[in-house]
Amino acid sequence: MRSMRVVQLTALALVAVSAVQVGWWLVDQHNYTAERVHAARVAYTEQLAAAQGLLESGTASTRVEELLPAITVHDGRAALSPQVAALLTSEQRRRDTQYAWEGAFFLLALAVCIAVIVRALRAEARVHEDQDSFLALVSHQFKTPLASLQLSLETLALRAPPPEAAGRLIDRMLADLARMELMVTQILESARLERGRADFKAEPVQLATAVGRVIGQMEERARAEQVSIASDIAPGLYVVSDALALDVVVRNVLENALTAVRSAGGGRIALSARAQNNEVELSVQDSGVGFAPAEASRLFEKFTRLHAAAGGAYGTGLGLFIVRRLMELAQGRVGAHSDGPGKGARLTLTWPGGWQPASPGGGSLAAPEARP
Amino acid sequence: MNTTRVPAAHILVVEDDPHLAAGVMENLRADGYEVSAAGDGEAALAWLGTHGCALIVLDVMLPGADGFAVCRTLREQGNSTPVLFLTARGDPADRVRGLEAGGDDYLAKPFHLAEFLLRVRAILRRWEWYRSATSTTAVLRFGGNEVDFRAFRARSWNGDAQELTEKEAMILKVLAEHAGEIVSREDLLERVWGYDVFPSTRTVDNFILRLRKRFEKDPASPRHFLTVWGVGYRFLSEGAP
Repeated sequence: MRSMRVVQLTALALVAVSAVQVGWWLVDQHNYTAERVHAARVAYTEQLAAAQGLLESGTASTRVEELLPAITVHDGRAALSPQVAALLTSEQRRRDTQYAWEGAFFLLALAVCIAVIVRALRAEARVHEDQDSFLALVSHQFKTPLASLQLSLETLALRAPPPEAAGRLIDRMLADLARMELMVTQILESARLERGRADFKAEPVQLATAVGRVIGQMEERARAEQVSIASDIAPGLYVVSDALALDVVVRNVLENALTAVRSAGGGRIALSARAQNNEVELSVQDSGVGFAPAEASRLFEKFTRLHAAAGGAYGTGLGLFIVRRLMELAQGRVGAHSDGPGKGARLTLTWPGGWQPASPGGGSLAAPEARP
Repeated sequence: MNTTRVPAAHILVVEDDPHLAAGVMENLRADGYEVSAAGDGEAALAWLGTHGCALIVLDVMLPGADGFAVCRTLREQGNSTPVLFLTARGDPADRVRGLEAGGDDYLAKPFHLAEFLLRVRAILRRWEWYRSATSTTAVLRFGGNEVDFRAFRARSWNGDAQELTEKEAMILKVLAEHAGEIVSREDLLERVWGYDVFPSTRTVDNFILRLRKRFEKDPASPRHFLTVWGVGYRFLSEGAP
């Protein structure tokens, strides 16, 4: 990383020096041409003087013109022939133009090089900065559950509470551990996503099945928290995505909705999907705590935890960020809307290209349900 | 630990993490304090608008306005309730920021329960001392200066109105209580800040310099706030001859 930077900086210096040299070369060539033309003019002036001398000593004008081809004689006076004078001027102009073109080309090429190197250096610096703030944020995120864990343990040690209170503390500690484990998983997930589309497969997945599986895993917990989940997705809707990524996306969106509804003291989550404009849109509507409409754009950024204020959130601030990244990898988009705090929210996931399964019996593709 | 506890002192806990808030509150209740909770800065300021308390335990990283901003707002509103900051960032620069924002003490997460409770007790004890000490003599007059300990205001010898910080007022109170005696820097630290909030006794020197600037006719050759070399300070209300 460091040696790469040294190479880039050296290249930048070399290119910059080259640019200066090209500039110097241009000035030099221009001066040289001017000098040469001037020398030629001086030489012709001498010829002119010689021709005038010959004429004055009585030499025939035709003889003078023969001896000195660059000279014409007119009314007994020698003059530089118009062709030669024009040639001198045009030669100087021609060379200057040539150098200007060549120089401009080189300077342009070098400027492009400088721009490319500076861009690379900037991008690298930004990555460094991002990593630094990512690390700072991650370590900060860990300290809160860690502090809670330590507090619970020390409470147990210091106060020797009755079994009932001790049980509550242990539950709290287990929840803190689960929270930290979720954070580790999500941080690894997002770090993997940062590196790009490493192993993202694009394949048709039946939306209703994928969503149904996630709901099945969360239903019990939702019931315990007074949250009902309803799903109405036509079985004919397929999206093109990585099956595992789709699972993560649906899970994170549902987790988010669950937190929002739980914070509001219970309620309902409704999932629906439709195909339109050659796109498939999955919409997750919840009756949770909602958010200020202005905060919609921040929702999918790293470490945004809007529900925290409601006093019921254990989020890591990475869930919806991961959703956004995965949807981007699937060429899709995310959206969020709320009428305001306390008024619920709707998150939408949109996939492009409504892939249609072949007509029943056609069997152009294996049934997506059969996929592991 | 055997300490004189303020009976049912009311403490406001401002912490957005529900587990940590619950743990802190349970422990404060178990130690006999009355406890209220706020999930963010706005809720805390709203609560403080209608209630009073003896101490605010304030998380720094809150949703919306952070703890520093909440503390500054409080101080600007003239609320001098002591603040104990809790924060995930424990670096010295952050510590200084917290104390500059008007905090009384600063604890980095994760923290030890015993230390937390100790600090809470220490802050409350200092303020209890200050309140009782200033209830009998709320106004101090020396060398043409007049200091109102309850209002944290003063009028200096040249007629200038002075707004005192809590620490300045406390230092002045400690020195005035022991007028004519030598008070060591360590004693001042212990009485005003508690134990290890500040790393050095030089902090005390800085506060003495500020008091001289406020109340001495010639801060360079003080007549009331005298330095006792190598030991500490002596306050003379009559002024040195």
